[in-house]
Amino acid sequence: MQKVMEQSPQSATGTRPPPSSLGKVGLSRLNDIGPTLVVVAILALAMQLGSYVLPPFVMPAPLTILAATWEILSTQMSHIGVTALRLFVAVVFAMTVGVLLGVVMGVIPRVRPYLQALVIIDTGIPALSWMLLAIFWFSEPEIRIFFILSVILIPFYALNIYDAIRALPRDWVDMIESFRPHRWQVLRYLVAPHIVPAIITTTKAVIGYAIRMAIFAELVASAIGIGSRMSLAQSMFRIDLVLGWTLILVIFNLGLQALINASEKLLLKWRPETKVR
Amino acid sequence: MISPTDTIIELRGVTKSFGTNRVADNLDLLVQRREIVALLGQTGAGKSTVLNMVMGNIPADSGTVRVAGHDPYNEFIKLRGKMAVSFQTDRLLPWRTAVENAELGLLILGKPTAEAREIATTWLARVNLAGAENRYVHELSGGMRQRVSLARALCVDPELVLLDESFSQLDHVTSMALRADFAKLVREFGKTCLFVTHRIDDALEMADRILVLKPGAGVGLELVMTPEMRADSATVHELHDRIAGTMEGSEAGQPDLARA
Repeated sequence: MQKVMEQSPQSATGTRPPPSSLGKVGLSRLNDIGPTLVVVAILALAMQLGSYVLPPFVMPAPLTILAATWEILSTQMSHIGVTALRLFVAVVFAMTVGVLLGVVMGVIPRVRPYLQALVIIDTGIPALSWMLLAIFWFSEPEIRIFFILSVILIPFYALNIYDAIRALPRDWVDMIESFRPHRWQVLRYLVAPHIVPAIITTTKAVIGYAIRMAIFAELVASAIGIGSRMSLAQSMFRIDLVLGWTLILVIFNLGLQALINASEKLLLKWRPETKVR
Repeated sequence: MISPTDTIIELRGVTKSFGTNRVADNLDLLVQRREIVALLGQTGAGKSTVLNMVMGNIPADSGTVRVAGHDPYNEFIKLRGKMAVSFQTDRLLPWRTAVENAELGLLILGKPTAEAREIATTWLARVNLAGAENRYVHELSGGMRQRVSLARALCVDPELVLLDESFSQLDHVTSMALRADFAKLVREFGKTCLFVTHRIDDALEMADRILVLKPGAGVGLELVMTPEMRADSATVHELHDRIAGTMEGSEAGQPDLARA
């Protein structure tokens, strides 16, 4: 048998290149968060200057906002937990149903036009309409919020997964069909792994929107959760609390994005990162 | 004369057209078990169409296509595990490592995971990829990827291996190494192989029999190759010229049987 003459793109010996040094990793992270810190510092400075010339109920000083944030964190964590739980349940449900709808649209041509029409009609209905309808239809606040978030998020998953299946390379389908698989085997070995990046991308894209919708839904349809607390703070003219809740929501969103990015790195470790010069 | 029991691929009076373009006209083609047959021809000669009909991807307009006694198009599932294909491009799934790609066919055929992994690892070693089992596709060179693709095809222990221009996208040196390894393995394990190529060198190096297809006219030239013929450079050059002449249309008419 002849020796392998080809070499892998990574190295001639087959060993992988050494990982980056700790110093380089640290520097890279600093490069990533550096601009964010600069923007935060500029905003804090602008708010501080604004607090000198504007009344406290318009622009409180950053330290006042931090004090309000601490007040929230030390007394109202349960509301953050409730919102997080509502969001988690609704996103997981919307992801499950949306992915199923997308897969059905992708692999069953007979059903596709009907589901596609349903999903597209859904995307055309404003979020506010769903909120008002939920208030009419359901008396239980949890069901209202779950319903609102689900009907808003499901189409994003369904359409993106359908698009991902449409983009499945014909070559891969021919390859797997050359083994004469059962239909579920095509789904398991080809379709399911292929749509994982689309699920992650969709989650990254909708999570910020989902948080905003959850807060808005809580504002109109519930007495507990961050949205209802923000409404209460507004009615008490506590702008420091409103801004404190806002700060918490920004951090909450960044935390979720970081969690999704970590999941992406774990689930898509097979995908090389391409850097464009 | 080939007896029916020795025949694994049988095309009789096969006609196939795409619109007004007739790519196969009353084509007869028999492939015996344990034979390596090369299908050569210019673009549009119908070699990929023949391969697709054998794979069961498309039906013939008229005539009979049989693979291991079954109609590959209408009895698609009956050929499960009996044939495997290696394509022009490697078609590896990027989310699977080399060994996970190699074992894919085995898992589809219902082999237990541990057994499939063991067989796939053995085949990767046979195609000189020991040590590269856990690399992802982007960590492999073009030649290594094609070796994984060949291992994936051979892993399932098929009676028939089909190659669709499998070496044509590789550089000359890699292609030479790979086709020599592949031919050795196919002979060693007693497989039948039908391969489509436009490269005369591939056919002369690997095939027991070479069929040159002419567009819309069936087999224009049929040659039987022996190890002795392959070892004689003058014979190889002469055959190369004859095949090239047929492919360019200088040699028309009935099949020319140049049996040794």
